[in-house]
This record gives sequence, C-alpha cells and structure tokens, in this order.
Amino acid sequence: MSFKHYGSRKSGSVGWLLQRITGIFLIFAMVGHYILMHYTPETGHSYEQSIARFSNVYWKMFYLTFITLGLWHGLNGIWSILRDFKMKSWLAITLYGIIVISGFAFWVLGVSTALKF
Amino acid sequence: MKVEKTREGYFKLVASYKKEAGGWAWIIHRISGIVLTAYLYVHIYALSTLTKGKEAFDAEMALFQKPLFKFLEWLLFAFVLAHTLNGIRIVLVDFGKGAYYQKKAFAYLMIIGIIAFLVMGYFIFSHEINQMFAGLI
Repeated sequence: MSFKHYGSRKSGSVGWLLQRITGIFLIFAMVGHYILMHYTPETGHSYEQSIARFSNVYWKMFYLTFITLGLWHGLNGIWSILRDFKMKSWLAITLYGIIVISGFAFWVLGVSTALKF
Repeated sequence: MKVEKTREGYFKLVASYKKEAGGWAWIIHRISGIVLTAYLYVHIYALSTLTKGKEAFDAEMALFQKPLFKFLEWLLFAFVLAHTLNGIRIVLVDFGKGAYYQKKAFAYLMIIGIIAFLVMGYFIFSHEINQMFAGLI
C-alpha cells in the first residue's frame, strides 16, 4: 500500500475537503482581487493605496486569510500531485519537508508584511 | 498491491491515455496549480518590499509596468482563469451533480475563460491600445 511510504495512515480526505473549501473562498477572493488591481492599469498598485489597505483592519484580516488559505491551497495541491508518484520514503519526507518549511517561511514573510502597517 | 514499473515511464504513460474533457482538465489544473503556487511565492516576496519604504516599492512597481512584465501578468491571468474556472467544475462534480454535465461545463467554462482573458488583455494594455487608436481618430 502506498501510504506506508509517507509515514502516515491518513487517507487524505481532510485535505481533499479543505482543498475544496479553501478553493471556493479563493474563487471569490481572486475575483475581487483582480477587479481591484486591474480595473485600470494603475488601480491598487500604488504605495499609498497599498499602505492604506494594509492599515485598515478589515483589509488586513482579508489579506491574512488570503495569504494563509492561498498558500495552504497551493502547497496542499502540490503535495497531492506528488502523492500520485511512487516515491522512496526519504524522498517523500524531503519533499514534504521542503513544502512545509518553505511554505511556513513565505507565510511568515507575507503575514509580517501585512502586520507591519 | 505491487505497482509495476512501466517501460515507457510516467509521462509517456500519461500522454498515451485517451483524453476527453476530464483528462485535459486534470492536466491543465495540475500545471496551472504548480505555476500559481510558484507565482504566489514570488508575489509574497515582491510585496514584502512595501516594508522598505515608498522609493523601493515604487521602483519595483515601475519595473512591473514594463511591457514584458505586463505581458507575463496577462499570461499569469490565463493560468488563474484555467485554474479558477476548472476549480468551479471540480466543486460542481464533487459537491453537486456536475458529473452529469462535466464535459459541457468544461467547454463552456473554457469559452468564458478565453473571453475573460481577452477582456483582461484590454484592461492591462488599455493605455497602449488607446494610444494606438488615438492616431487613427
């Protein structure tokens, strides 16, 4: 059975469900994000506008959610692609480690940027 | 269960499958997902310049306003559209009755995607397009 190569007995069903829930959130968030950023080539991109949004508590909450769920959705997706391959356990653990560590590092970078203002 | 190694290798094996809408959707979703995740890292890193002050941020934004980056941004939107629209199809299949109409849904959603891609092209390049036609009017 494949699961023994991943050091886990989880079927992945929780990940499957969360992937869909975060995906539904990201559909709406992405539509809003694109309208805001590209209504004209300049909208949303200036320093002042970005700072104003990050200084607003509601926008801040939105961005923190966006960063968190976006990263989780993307990295869980990458991991579920990798799980389709038959990997030696050392390779699976290494790749999983890279996903978790890099994901956490970029999450900290994103969150610290949003919280600075 | 012992998984037998294929003589052709994984990619040739996948390529040899008969692909209908779902097969293409599956491949497109994976490729676009990997691209978008990689972009998300770049995006978070690029936006962290905000903490270095207005000058640094404005210099970076000026770089992203160059035609090459605008074009890449437009290309990125193609991946976003493919992934988002096919994501809707996946949710409908998993949570709704999408299995009955998933092929049609794929076709319609991709048509919507192509239209949205072209419309976004206008928004991203509106200055250039307006300049181009300004001489004609």
